Amino acid sequence: MKKLIARTESISKNSSNEHILEVKDISVSFGGVQPVRGVSFGLTENSFTSIIGPNGAGKTSLFNLISGINKVDAGEIIFRGEALQDIHIHKIAQKGLVRTFQGAKVIRRLTVAENLMMAVQGNPGDNLRGFLNPRARSSFESKSREEAMRRLEQVGLTKFADEFAGILSGGQRKLLDLSRALMTKPSLLLLDEPFAGVNPTLVEKLLNVLEELRKDQEMTFLLIEHDLETVMRISDRVIVMAEGKIIADGLPNSIYESEVVIDAYLGSRRRGAK
Amino acid sequence: MSVFLQPGFWVFVLALAGIYGIFSLGLQIQYGVGGVMNFGHVGMMAISGYTIAVLVIKYQWSFWWAAFIGVALAALLGALLGLTTLRLSGDYFAIASIAFAEITRYWILNSDSVTGGTQGTLAIPSESGFSSYTTEPDVILTWIQDRLYPLIGDEASRDLAMVLVVWPFLFLFIWISSRLQQTSWARVLRATREDDDVPRSLGKNVFRFRLQTLIIGSVFGGIAGIFWALQFMLLAPEDFLRIVTFYGWMILILAGATRVKGLIFASIFFGFLYGATRFLDFWPLSLLSSPERAYLRVFLIGLVIVLLMLKRPQGFFGKREEMVLE
Ligand SMILES: Nc1ncnc2c1ncn2[C@@H]1O[C@H](COP(=O)(O)OP(=O)(O)O)[C@@H](O)[C@H]1O
Ligand SMILES: [Mg+2]
Repeated sequence: MKKLIARTESISKNSSNEHILEVKDISVSFGGVQPVRGVSFGLTENSFTSIIGPNGAGKTSLFNLISGINKVDAGEIIFRGEALQDIHIHKIAQKGLVRTFQGAKVIRRLTVAENLMMAVQGNPGDNLRGFLNPRARSSFESKSREEAMRRLEQVGLTKFADEFAGILSGGQRKLLDLSRALMTKPSLLLLDEPFAGVNPTLVEKLLNVLEELRKDQEMTFLLIEHDLETVMRISDRVIVMAEGKIIADGLPNSIYESEVVIDAYLGSRRRGAK
Repeated sequence: MSVFLQPGFWVFVLALAGIYGIFSLGLQIQYGVGGVMNFGHVGMMAISGYTIAVLVIKYQWSFWWAAFIGVALAALLGALLGLTTLRLSGDYFAIASIAFAEITRYWILNSDSVTGGTQGTLAIPSESGFSSYTTEPDVILTWIQDRLYPLIGDEASRDLAMVLVVWPFLFLFIWISSRLQQTSWARVLRATREDDDVPRSLGKNVFRFRLQTLIIGSVFGGIAGIFWALQFMLLAPEDFLRIVTFYGWMILILAGATRVKGLIFASIFFGFLYGATRFLDFWPLSLLSSPERAYLRVFLIGLVIVLLMLKRPQGFFGKREEMVLE
């Protein structure tokens, strides 16, 4: 454990000026529950970090704080040098920090394509002023539609494009949620268990998509994921949470072998697997 | 029953339908598109109608400027309602909106020296002692009547002239509204009917969208107020009771909240129901007093809404899938 923490500190010291996100000692409580207790970490630009931890560890709550859906009771969240904790959710998203939802929230009564098209940033048609400029609106719409169709192709949902999203299965909704977040062209994407219920072949394909985005668009990722194989494959850093705190933070292999982590989390999983 | 055979009855039904159609178009863009449950819509109509009467009678303004200011004030009232209460959750907003319209009506009721109080616009103090506000637009209505007289004689009523004025506006507004509903602006609003966190997390300022739809709907309410004022030629506080808002809601439910064209059919149906129930004076209904018959009208209209909710929750023209998806 000590070794791990030491390593983390050296990581963050070396690169503190390149941090796209800096979370400083944040906490939140709801009534008697305190799902996040003094969490701190920084994310290097263009990195891929995974968060693991048992159910109820506070991972989703942490995402809710970073994305602004819940406000912190204490601490600071700095994104590209700017404090986020008092900023509205939509402003945070506009800055390029976007998240998906563990429950894969889709808008059921919009079509699958509409769900995606809604996510494109800088749409002149979102503004009443744009109403007076139908040409700009419709050219933006057709570009958005094209992009939406490309995303749907990627996740094998093309044939559902014009169906209400409400008819999709749980796994399909996850894919739609992920694609929708990508439509915003975020610089930092928070993914909350995006692969649960998605078939392994497709997961493989999506991991490649994410890796490409990381390379080509210089995106930064923070992923919550239960499947360790996936985590080990794609992450260059793993954060372990339990009971609202970070209990380990380091390179994937060192986490995999750490005693603390095995006790707190992995142990039960590995034993359970056998 | 012979009243239903008279053209005059149907002309009145159409005039009423046109006005209520524009009124409901406001609710449609607010609720049908944006999920904003405004139960105080009648307040917008009251404000614009009364603004016209007061500015013309008390301050001798031109009708046209007064109408413009009336609609602007309705929009302002919508903005004020939204800014103060739209951040509340949907149910609370609905209640707050009722209160807002009631406050407006109480203010009208109790400001005798401006609005004429309980006696209505006839009692608005005026230097000339003249208490009509429709002189200027009446020139147009009379002109239309004069053109029609050689063709249809006494059927060339003021009501018919109103129909010919109101309905083109209704069609124009339906066209504008359906264009508006094809924009990505409306798409975001439709998303907010289900969930706030999703559009917000995609960078949409949900509050701004809701406020905008509330204001646009209020403008329609205000415009309906102009035509209302023109149709009835005098206004009283009891014209703007809560029930009027619910008449608008009934039309919306009949039409299917998400379908703009169903509105035409539903407005005429409502106009008929409203007009017809005035004439329910045959036996045994003739035993009832006229206020009792007025209650019967409300009862009948309520019954239609309930039956409709049971049999066709999507309205006559709505898509059922849009109602039942989970
Ligand atoms: N808004 C909230 N109100 C009350 N309790 C909450 C809220 N959000 C999260 N919690 C609680 O916080 C704890 C952590 O939940 P969560 O963050 O979803 O864990 P994880 O995603 O790691 O499984 C749970 O006990 C949950 O009930
Ligand atoms: Mg979770």
